[in-house]
Amino acid sequence: MYLNVENLTKTFGDFTALNNVSISVESHEFVCLLGPSGCGKTTMLRIIAGLAEADQGTVSLKGENLIGLSARKRGFGIVFQSYSLFPNMTISENIGYGLKIRGVAKADINKRTKELLELIKLPQVANHYPGYLSGGQQQRVALARAIAVDPRLLLLDEPLSALDAKVRAELRIEIRNLQRSLGIPTVMVTHDQEEALMLADRIICMNHGIVEQCGTPEDLYLRPETSFVADFMGVSNLIKTQYIRDMFPNLMEHRPSSEDSDLIACIRPEQIHLFSDPSGIGTIRDIAFLGNISRIQVDSPAGDLTIETHGHVEFVTGQKVKLDIHPDNCAWVKNTQGGRIIS
Amino acid sequence: MSNLDQSITLPPVNREFDWSRIIIAVSIGIPVIGLILFFIFPLYQVFIRSVTEPDGTLGLANYSEILASKFFWRATWHSLEMGVYTTLISLGLGFIIAQGLHRSHFPGKSLVRAAMILPLLAPSLVQGLGLIFLLGRNGLVNKLFGLELDIYGFWGLLIANVFYALPQVIMIVGATLSLSDNRTYEAASMIGASPWRQFIDITLSNSKFGILGAGFVVFTVTITDFGNAAVIGGDYSVLATEIYSQVIGQMNFNMGAVVGILLLLPTIISYYIERFAQRRQFSTISDSAIPYVPRFSAIRDIPMAIASYIIAISTAGVIAIVIYASFVKLWPYNFDLTFKHYDITLAGGYAPLWTTILVSLLAATGGVIALFLLGFGIRRVPPRVAKVVHFVSMLPAAVPGIVLGLAYVFTFNSPSTPLYMFYGTAAMLALINFYHYHTQGFLTTMTGFRQVPKSLEEASSCLGSGLIRIATDVVAPYVVPMLISVFFFLFMRSMVTLSAIIFLTTPKLTVASVTIMRLDDAGLTSQAAAYSTCVMLIVGVALMSMKGVLYQVNRKKGISS
Repeated sequence: MYLNVENLTKTFGDFTALNNVSISVESHEFVCLLGPSGCGKTTMLRIIAGLAEADQGTVSLKGENLIGLSARKRGFGIVFQSYSLFPNMTISENIGYGLKIRGVAKADINKRTKELLELIKLPQVANHYPGYLSGGQQQRVALARAIAVDPRLLLLDEPLSALDAKVRAELRIEIRNLQRSLGIPTVMVTHDQEEALMLADRIICMNHGIVEQCGTPEDLYLRPETSFVADFMGVSNLIKTQYIRDMFPNLMEHRPSSEDSDLIACIRPEQIHLFSDPSGIGTIRDIAFLGNISRIQVDSPAGDLTIETHGHVEFVTGQKVKLDIHPDNCAWVKNTQGGRIIS
Repeated sequence: MSNLDQSITLPPVNREFDWSRIIIAVSIGIPVIGLILFFIFPLYQVFIRSVTEPDGTLGLANYSEILASKFFWRATWHSLEMGVYTTLISLGLGFIIAQGLHRSHFPGKSLVRAAMILPLLAPSLVQGLGLIFLLGRNGLVNKLFGLELDIYGFWGLLIANVFYALPQVIMIVGATLSLSDNRTYEAASMIGASPWRQFIDITLSNSKFGILGAGFVVFTVTITDFGNAAVIGGDYSVLATEIYSQVIGQMNFNMGAVVGILLLLPTIISYYIERFAQRRQFSTISDSAIPYVPRFSAIRDIPMAIASYIIAISTAGVIAIVIYASFVKLWPYNFDLTFKHYDITLAGGYAPLWTTILVSLLAATGGVIALFLLGFGIRRVPPRVAKVVHFVSMLPAAVPGIVLGLAYVFTFNSPSTPLYMFYGTAAMLALINFYHYHTQGFLTTMTGFRQVPKSLEEASSCLGSGLIRIATDVVAPYVVPMLISVFFFLFMRSMVTLSAIIFLTTPKLTVASVTIMRLDDAGLTSQAAAYSTCVMLIVGVALMSMKGVLYQVNRKKGISS
C-alpha cells in the first residue's frame, strides 16, 4: 500500500469525529471519502494533510511515518472548496508559488507554469488576478497550483461543491482525466455520491466516524453491505425481511440465513418491473415524468415503493400492477440503523 | 500523543526541531509582555498608591478622607451631571446628522461629513478655545452686542463637550443605520405602515443598541476628558480636573490615585454596557441585505438638511474661528491679519511640536508592529490563552487617559524598577499613547486578521510555506490596509491627546497639547490658537496621507471582494 492510515481516532470535546478508522490508498489510485456532513471524512483528510493532529493512530506513506511531520514538509497538494488562491498574486504567481518556495530557478518556474496553464486550458489568464476569474476557472488554477510541485499525494476537499451544476460536471471530467494521465494518488472528500461514483477507483463510505463500506463504485451501488450505504448511494427501496417473504418469496433464496431483523433487502428503483394486473399487489399512486425516465410511486403491502423506468409509461394513477424483481438484483444488507427503511 | 500498536514496527518518527512554536511564542510574547509592563503593572501601582496611607501602611484611610470631602462630591456630581447632559444633547444632535447622512436626500452631504470629522483632528481643548473666542469675556458676541456673558463654567463646558462628542455619535449611530436592509422597509410599506411608523418601528428600534452604545461612549469620553474642562471649565470642577489639582496643585499623589480608582468604576461599567450593546446590534444583520437608498421627500429632507447644515457649520465654525483668530492681530479689537502669534517663544517654542511628531511616529510604528505580532500570535495559541489575551487587550479602552497618566507617573518616576530609565523620554510618551489607544488599534487589526481565510493559510502550508512565509505572503496582504489605518490612527491620536500626557511632561520634555494649555493659561490665547492650528495642519495632512495610501493599496491589491 502507498498510503496507510491505521486506527485513527479523533474527538472534539464530546464529539467523536473518527472512531478507530483505517484506510489505505494505492499508488495511482483515486479514492473518494464519501459521507454526509459530520461523518468524519474532512477530519480524515485534514489529518492526512497534516493540518490536524489525530488523538490516536498512524499515517504512513510508503512506510514513512508522517505523524509529527508538519503539513509543509509532507509534499502533498491540496485543493479546497473555497478555491483559496492568493488574491494578491497573479494566476502564474499562484501556480508557481510552491516552486518558488522550493527555490526552483525562475526560468524553470515559468516553463512549468506555462505547461500547467496549457494543461488546465487557461493560458490566456496568466497575468490576471484570481478575483477576475470565474469559480470554475479559479478551481482549475487551484488544481494546477497543487500539482505544480509534483505532490506525493493529491488531496481534494469537496473541490466541486461551490460550483454550479454545469461547471461542476465539466470540471469533474477534467479532474478525472488529469488524475488518470498524471497518475497522482488522490484522496477526495465529497458528499455527492454521483461525483464519487464517476471519479473514484475506490469509494470509502463513512458515517458517524466509522467506515461503513469500502469498495469499487460498482460494489457500493450494486452490492451495498449496510442499509446506510444502500440508502446513501442513490435511491433504494429498503424492505424488511417479513414483507419480502410474503411479497417476493423468490428473493429469499439468496438470503444468508440470519434473524429477520438483521438483514434488509435493498432493491434499486430500476430493478423493479411493473406489469398491468388487476389482481396485482401494487397500486400506482403517482407518476413523475422526468424526461429520460419516469419515477413511479407504488403502494404495496410493504409500503411506498419507488420505481424508475425509461421513457414515458402507459400506467395511470390508481391502476393495479404486478411487481417483478430478479433475485440477482436484490442485495441483502446489514441493518445498521442507517438509511430510510420502508414500512 | 499517538498510541502506537507495539506489534507494528514503524520507521522512526521524523519530528524535526519545531521553529514554528518559537515563532508563535515570540509573536504573542512580545505584545503580552508589553501589556503587562506598560498597562497592567502601572494600573496596579495606582491601586496600591490609593490604599497606601501617609505613614506608608496599607489601609482605606485615603478613601474615607476623599469620600468625606465635599470637593470630591461636588466634582463627582459635576462629572455625572455633565456626562448626562452632554450624552443626551449629543445623542439627539448626532442622531439627526446620522439620519441626515444615511437616510435623507440633500446636497452637500460630503461637506457635512467632513465638517463632523474636524473635531477628531484637534486636541480636545480646541472646542474650548473656539468658544472663548466666540463667547468669552473678550469674545466676538460680547463685543458686538455689548454683553457681559461669561462662558467659563457649566455652559461653556457643556457646549465644548457636545462639539467634541458629536463625531463619535455620528460614527457609531451612522454605522448601525447604514447596516439596515431596504427589504424590511419595502415589506412594511406593503403591509401599509406610514413613513413615520416605519421610522419608529424599524429605524429607531433597529438602531436602539447603536444609540445606547454611542450614549455610553459619549458618557465615558465626557467624564474622563481633561482638555476642555481645563480650558473652559472655570470653577466648575470635574473629576478629571480634581485629579489634576490633587496631584499637581497639592502634590497629593495618593489622593489622586483614589480619585483615579473611583473614576474607573463608571467608565468600566459604561464600557461593558457599550460592548454588550454592540454585540446585540451586529448579531441581527444578514449578509444578503440590500442597502436603503433614500429618495427626495420635501417634508423630511428640507428640515433634515437645515438641521444638518446648522450643526455642521457650528461644529466646523468653532474650529475655524480658532484658526482665524490665530491670524488676527488683536482679537476682537483689531482684525488685521498677521503671523505674529506664530512667533512662539514661551513654553519651549516649537520644540514640543517636533517632540510630539517624534512621539507620535514612535507610538504608531511600535504600535503597528506590536499589534501585528499580537494578531498573528493570538490566532495560533490555544483558545483559552487567546481568550485571556483578548480580554486584556480590550481593557485599555475602559481606562481614562488621566488615570493611565497617573499610573505612569507612579510606575516610571520611581527608581525602584528598571522602568525608571524610561522616565522623561519620548519613548515613555509613545508607550502611554499606544497603550491608551490599544483597544481601538487591536480591534481594527483583528478585523484584518479575521479576513484571512483559514483555508488559504492551510493551502499555503501544504505548498510548503513556513510561518514566516505565511505571515508575509498570505496574512500581510489582508491586514496591511488595517495596519495602515491603525498607524495613522495612533499617529493622529498621539498628536492631539492631552489627558494621558499631562502628568508625564517635564520641563525638558513636553508635547504640543500641553504647550497649548500652558499658552492659554498664560493668557496667550491667540498663540494657543496658532499652536493648535499647527497641530491640526499636521493631523490633517496625516489624514489625507492615510486616505491616499489606502486608496493606492486597495487599487493595487486586486482583491475583488
